[in-house]
Amino acid sequence: MGTATGIIKALNSGIKHLAVKRFTLRYPEQKLKFVGDGYQFDPTTGVGIAGYKGRHMLFHDKCTGCQLCAIACEGVAEAIGMVKVQEDWKQNKKAIMPQIDYGKCVFCGLCVDACPFYALYMTNDYELSSFTKEALIYTPAQLQVKPFVQQDAEIVFDARGATHG
Amino acid sequence: MTTQLPPGLQLEKLNERIMTLNVGPQHPGSGHMRLIIKVDGDYIVSCDPDPGYVHRGEEKMAEYRNYIQNIPHLERPVIHDSCNVLYPYCLGVEELLGVEVPERAQYLRVIASELNRCVYIQYWLAIYGIFLGHSTMFMWPAGDRELLIDLLEKMTGARVTHAYFVPGGIRNDVPANFEDMCLKRVNYFEKRIKEYAAIFYDNPILISRTSGAGVLSRDDAIRLGTTGSTLRASGVDFDLRKKEPYDVYGELDVHSNVLKEGDSYARSKIPWLDMLESCNIIRQALQKMPKSGSVRVKLKPNPKGGNDEVYKRVESGRGSLGCYIVSRSKPEPYRVKMSVGSFRNLICMPYLLKGEKLGNMPAVYWSLNYWPVEADR
Repeated sequence: MGTATGIIKALNSGIKHLAVKRFTLRYPEQKLKFVGDGYQFDPTTGVGIAGYKGRHMLFHDKCTGCQLCAIACEGVAEAIGMVKVQEDWKQNKKAIMPQIDYGKCVFCGLCVDACPFYALYMTNDYELSSFTKEALIYTPAQLQVKPFVQQDAEIVFDARGATHG
Repeated sequence: MTTQLPPGLQLEKLNERIMTLNVGPQHPGSGHMRLIIKVDGDYIVSCDPDPGYVHRGEEKMAEYRNYIQNIPHLERPVIHDSCNVLYPYCLGVEELLGVEVPERAQYLRVIASELNRCVYIQYWLAIYGIFLGHSTMFMWPAGDRELLIDLLEKMTGARVTHAYFVPGGIRNDVPANFEDMCLKRVNYFEKRIKEYAAIFYDNPILISRTSGAGVLSRDDAIRLGTTGSTLRASGVDFDLRKKEPYDVYGELDVHSNVLKEGDSYARSKIPWLDMLESCNIIRQALQKMPKSGSVRVKLKPNPKGGNDEVYKRVESGRGSLGCYIVSRSKPEPYRVKMSVGSFRNLICMPYLLKGEKLGNMPAVYWSLNYWPVEADR
């Protein structure tokens, strides 16, 4: 192939892309849709359930304060600390629950794997930025709240290429 | 007049022709590294690579954490290729603990690691494009990579640093309509990367820039102990997926791509051919995969290995990646040693750059498929 043909072919390949649809995700307006409600774990089978590994969700009525999540996090990120809560649960005599520092968390989900009581799940919420480091520390009361997420963009394919429809 | 210099400092004489040039330690696309280059005019006289700026002590850290807690930090060296980086560690720990991985998990591992290889090579290719001043070749791979990143996100739960492989299988089964989704995206992805040929690989401007730059002969490639795309671009047919099949690679038809030229052009083309091959492997694996079944063997909470040692290696995006684990009947490994492809490819830099023009340095440097963070561990 000659030099001129090669350059014309390269230019032609670029010009063809004028007809291809834009692939860019327009982020704050569009948000990608994930599978399910976030990463969960089934301790009976020992296998997780596919989902996005985002901010955690703590079920206060199931947490026993056993600290297994904090122990699992010890060598990984040391993001989980156990704190006293002013709640009276029958299964949680010590009244301690995990508090997660998202300035340290690496979102590996090993704490979810460690929980034998179905008390800790992960959600689709990934927008955790804040102006202070202190605001990144989520108390058990904050972790209890189910996050509001509005994610509906999905990659679709048609004759003119892939887009975030 | 002679000035007294502090010890360790040297001044270059003005009338010498040779000038020392420090390239780095800035961030040339992937991590901090420095090249001490001596130039005579425009030609490189000698090159001394100086890695070590992003040393994180991963191997030492692994001695203080148990086999499961090692997973998140061991995949940090190459976050785009995290499944492949974790693969030899998981294979090694499985052999130490005597665990047999379910077949479905083995196929899903193959799919995840091939997807990861494509994601890594796309990132590498994007940076190779921008190194050579080809900004279209930065935008296209960076955009097409998103297809597979999104797929891996649905599969594993994270865009990069998946923490998906564990000793005993994988963390979670794939979502319901994964096979259709994967097949559709891989087919579209393959169609897209074939379009790179006209604009990049068959482009006469790129060919004249990279062909003949930094030629590594077949004998030198073997003598210097290079691996991966650098070795295969010099005409040596060595692909661990074919030579030493691990997991279910033995049941799949793997073709290893070999070129004879050994120059920067061949080294940059091999990863692209590897991506096309990865698409083939994924399609085969999707077809042969058992439709249901267990994906993870339940291990004890804090598994202990015996008094044993094991060495496992896999073909990562940058070549052979070995992991040597020594166990002393404790929950923590006694020693974890990673033998990485990046560091082994770095050794040929002084040989390749000698006599080259300084302007060819980026084309040769990045074609070696070198990832500073992985080389330093």
